[in-house]
Amino acid sequence: MSAATARGMGGFHDTRHVSPSALSARSYGRALLAAAREDERIVCLGADLSASTQTDLFRDELPTRFFMMGIQEANMVGAAGGMARAGDIPFCHSFCVFITRRVYDQIAMQVAYPKLPVKLVGFLPGLATELGVSHQAIDDVALMRSLPNMIVLEPCGPEQIGSVFAAALAHDGPVYLRLMTSSSKPDEGNLLVPFTIGKGNIARRGQDVAILAAGIMVQQAQHAADVLNERGISATVVNMASLKPLDDGLVAELAQTHKLIITAENHSRIGGLGSAVAEVIALRGLRVRFGMIAVNDVFSEGAKLAYLLEKHRLTGKHIANTTESLWREHVKL
Amino acid sequence: MTRHVPPINDLENIALSLRRSVVSMVDSVRVGYLLQGLGAADIFTALFFSELNLRTDDPNWSDRDRFILSTAHNTALLYATFAHRGYFPISRLETYTRDGSELEVNASERMGTIIEATCGSLGQGLSVAVGMALSLRRRGSEARVYVVLGDGELQEGQVWEAALSAGSFGLDNLCMIVDRNYLQAEGHSDRVVKMGPIPEKFESFGWNATEVDGNNLTELLDALRSARATKGKPFLINALTKTGAGVPFLEGQLSHVALLSPEDAQRALAHLEGQGK
Repeated sequence: MSAATARGMGGFHDTRHVSPSALSARSYGRALLAAAREDERIVCLGADLSASTQTDLFRDELPTRFFMMGIQEANMVGAAGGMARAGDIPFCHSFCVFITRRVYDQIAMQVAYPKLPVKLVGFLPGLATELGVSHQAIDDVALMRSLPNMIVLEPCGPEQIGSVFAAALAHDGPVYLRLMTSSSKPDEGNLLVPFTIGKGNIARRGQDVAILAAGIMVQQAQHAADVLNERGISATVVNMASLKPLDDGLVAELAQTHKLIITAENHSRIGGLGSAVAEVIALRGLRVRFGMIAVNDVFSEGAKLAYLLEKHRLTGKHIANTTESLWREHVKL
Repeated sequence: MTRHVPPINDLENIALSLRRSVVSMVDSVRVGYLLQGLGAADIFTALFFSELNLRTDDPNWSDRDRFILSTAHNTALLYATFAHRGYFPISRLETYTRDGSELEVNASERMGTIIEATCGSLGQGLSVAVGMALSLRRRGSEARVYVVLGDGELQEGQVWEAALSAGSFGLDNLCMIVDRNYLQAEGHSDRVVKMGPIPEKFESFGWNATEVDGNNLTELLDALRSARATKGKPFLINALTKTGAGVPFLEGQLSHVALLSPEDAQRALAHLEGQGK
């Protein structure tokens, strides 16, 4: 029995697994619908996960441009390749693990190679769910980053979804969006986080160490910076929402102005943000101490987010402890 | 729309020309799929020289009929078809599979829009066709989508996802032709995986289906007419082809990558030359 079949039987894809407050925020679904109202080319494809991927908003308002493909991720991505070749801009939706690993060859041949404007939108990034190992995407960034022509973006939260979405839509080519369903609404005021493909955002400026993070780990990195500050270590926090292309120039600049660089990601330590930053440091011969906070090379069980972050040592506290220990052992002699 | 169907003699002569090109191409570089190309030559003739609504001087015409070769490796025949149809000079066939040539063993979109999708990783072409058919229908285009799959390719699970999808969406602008030659890399396809009846399978997935002699142009053209007239359902043509068709000493041979001795290549060409009407 396939994972998709199991998913269909369990009813995991209805709203009972999305908190009510998340449904009220739904930044992604609203951004997609708003854009589609303005652009006739935008079509929305789903694989039996409309509520979980916030695309029921699109389905209900623009039904002729909404295509429920059923539990058929491979066919969905292939069909999206056909639609894009016919002039549409298809947005395909599922959980991160099913929109990447399950359909990797379809993406390579029908999306990435022909450089089509197909947008692959995944939810449940990294270790984030009680649904267990089948629903945890710990290798999706590695997979998508290694595809030529593919752009990989992970906003830090609802406050950045609008700007990341706009950039993904404007890019004339394939994009993988790694999204976390958040329980908070984006702040409509001046706290919205801007975004440019290929650019990182400095969220906080410090002097001693730079913590480069993506997705929900930006918030954990902020927490780590608070803890480190109390311990006398001043930390810069950078939101690396553009995982590919990476902001190589910013990494180089941070390496020159800080003594220690730490990456923090909710993803395997193989092939994700940490690997990408390490490549820049090694290839440019940057003289800086480097540490990585990531999921070790292991599969995980399902549990609530807070439990999983704690178990896999991904919380702000763990980031702070690791950073401090590297700082004291290797930098501040 | 009244469609111009060329006289059958003309089409038979075109099929002979395609077969001659296939033999010459594969013989000159010792690479490619000879028996399959000969077997499918009538399908390609019926499609490209009668059925498909194309503009060779405007390959990007938005209302063109789409053609996808899901088994992308049967390209000696595909390139010969493009050349004889007028997309590029016949002399370009001499570059087939040579280093640096765009005429690769597996056709890719680096050749431009005439390759509507990069296939070769088997099982994907029907899904792409479903997407194209959905988009064209949404836009109210009269363009139709044609996709050719090999029978061995039906072993891929994605084909059945796409078949279910096409039936469920009622895509009557979609026509799939299965090149039923019973040949795959491992040998006789039914000895690899028992496929059972193909048309009945598709009918149960919501398609209209028919079975024809895939080396009989009249039957193929009739089936394509039925496909065009069908409303509310996608259409399957299970085309029973003979590998090596048109060259008696090659017909029915089941070798995935057959190559001929120079003498046999000359014999094959001589036979095909002698068949013109």
